[in-house]
Amino acid sequence: MKDTLNDTVTDARGGAARGAGGNAGAEWQPIAYRLRWRPEGILPGAHPGHGEGAEGQFRRHVPLLRQPDPRRIDLRVSLRDPFGELHVRQFAPRRTVPVAALVDLSGSMRFGGAVAGRVADLCALVALSAVRAGDSFALFGADARLREEVTLPLARRRGLEEEVRERLLTARPGGTGTEGLMDAAARLPGRRGLVFLISDFLMPPVALERLLDALWRHDVVPVILRDGGVEERLPRWGLIELGDLETGRARLVVMRPGLRARWIEAAAARRRALAALFARRGLRPVELGDALDADALAQRLMEG
Amino acid sequence: MSGAGGTIEALTRNWGVDYPLVLALAVLAVLPLLAGVFARRGLPALELVPADPLSRAVALVLRLAGAVAVLALVLGLAGLHRREQGIEREGTGAHLVLLLDRSSSMDNSFADRAPTGDQESKSAAARRLLAEFVGRRPHDRMAVAAFSTSPMPVLPLTDHHEVVEAAIDAIDRPGLAFTDVGRGLALAFSTFAGDTDETSRAVLLVSDGAALVDRRVQEALRDAATRTPVHLYWLFLRSRGAKSIFEVPPPGEDTPQANPERHLHLFLQTLGVPYRAFEATSPQAVADAIAEIDRQETRPIRYVERIPRRDFARPAFAVAGAALALLMAAKLAERRLSPAGHAPAGHGANRAGETATPPAQRRAA
Repeated sequence: MKDTLNDTVTDARGGAARGAGGNAGAEWQPIAYRLRWRPEGILPGAHPGHGEGAEGQFRRHVPLLRQPDPRRIDLRVSLRDPFGELHVRQFAPRRTVPVAALVDLSGSMRFGGAVAGRVADLCALVALSAVRAGDSFALFGADARLREEVTLPLARRRGLEEEVRERLLTARPGGTGTEGLMDAAARLPGRRGLVFLISDFLMPPVALERLLDALWRHDVVPVILRDGGVEERLPRWGLIELGDLETGRARLVVMRPGLRARWIEAAAARRRALAALFARRGLRPVELGDALDADALAQRLMEG
Repeated sequence: MSGAGGTIEALTRNWGVDYPLVLALAVLAVLPLLAGVFARRGLPALELVPADPLSRAVALVLRLAGAVAVLALVLGLAGLHRREQGIEREGTGAHLVLLLDRSSSMDNSFADRAPTGDQESKSAAARRLLAEFVGRRPHDRMAVAAFSTSPMPVLPLTDHHEVVEAAIDAIDRPGLAFTDVGRGLALAFSTFAGDTDETSRAVLLVSDGAALVDRRVQEALRDAATRTPVHLYWLFLRSRGAKSIFEVPPPGEDTPQANPERHLHLFLQTLGVPYRAFEATSPQAVADAIAEIDRQETRPIRYVERIPRRDFARPAFAVAGAALALLMAAKLAERRLSPAGHAPAGHGANRAGETATPPAQRRAA
């Protein structure tokens, strides 16, 4: 099936199916996300920021002498004060936050059409949510180098999610290594932002540590891509010739229940090691399974 | 390099092919080593797969099976065969030529008349006893020759005793007319002509009479006897009434024409080879004589057996078939991975932009 991006003709398959997941773009509702930190910046947005604002999220009461703003005097609190001091409400200003998605486009991401499927879904959903919340969104795709054709600079225009989806649908993951993600990290804005790092994290731990060091400034949400095709949906018996999507090396594997169990155990061990690595840095990863689970993502993002 | 040359020389000495040009196709055997029979399924990283020696072994075996199949097919098409060759064997015993008289007088009984009732003809007795004799001497190599009007080579020297027994079985067929001992003996001597090793050779002449030996044949026999030292045994099946070869007749009657057997005996004594004659007047005496020969002829022998050319095309095709069956079984056992978001026929490394239909839409369609 050809991609039906600019296809206005409705076909028997149900017409406006866009993208690899077959999910129409309109199906996704924007999800809310909270930050555990206060973004800097000056643009009004949706997140409680630094400094003092006139409205928005209530922060605390301060004496009138500290903040001489008689319009915000809280009478009830002032009357309850035994010292008769006048109290003023102080609010957090609402600011925008830059949101970025760093997508690993190395050869291993070709497996199962992940980039054109659930990764595109996720990035489009995040872009949609960011734009609706007034935040700006940037997309960076990289393998061994930064891939300009899969890169969108920070923007908050409408329809950005469709652009993001289109970029990712036409992206051809290939190449080895994730060095380009370092360049992407360098191109992120200087103020703290929310960064989704989307990869299968099969890179060497040293490279991952370096990448996370480069992203020290930002609030990183690692999105771990996993595929049931190489875990629970492995065949029990049979012969499979496997080819490494990055290096091209091939190996024949004689599948049998014992080996399958060892394989799944190794995958679980790798995931535990990865979780430990993220936990040392205080990062809480999101798992992206065979399909994008928007509800789980929303819950995770609302937890901050 | 010389080792390789020696190997090739040794190979081509014993093995050959009918169509050498077909062997050029053997280079195709590298193809299975370069490409397997399986469709390659993409995997994010081979490090995901736990190390597995069995898988490595199976992969190696399948690659080799492909190469072996190609090689075996090529060899089969080229017509591989093992050349005719000689195998040196060891045995104890002798090289023995049974020289059998097939003249018609052999068909009579020892009473020199047509056998009746329970009487045994001379040839039948000889057959029975010789068969036992051959059965008792499994390591001998025997040749069989017969003579009558002219000598008949029946078997060359062989150690296939079933053939010898068959030849002996045939000596009581009705015989022919005359008895030409001299040329028969010449034929027996010539059997050993190609024989060069130091085994004991013996000629066992089974006859019931004799005729004059031609002068020229006598000379030839003397020559042959000096060239090939043999032991000569004459089993004289003497009919009742016939003169013994040992008794000296009165002078005047001692002429070759009147007493050919005795004169053959005298002639054989002058050949200069170890010679013994046994007179057998009854089946029992024949048995004694054969037992005596049996005792005499026991020396270790080494001989070369000729083995005919043997074609190996059929085994080669069988090997190729087995290898291909193995590959076929492996191919039928092939499975695929089922990555997310893919139709079951999906290939791991597909084009980005190739899309798969989610289940809900498949149902809708």
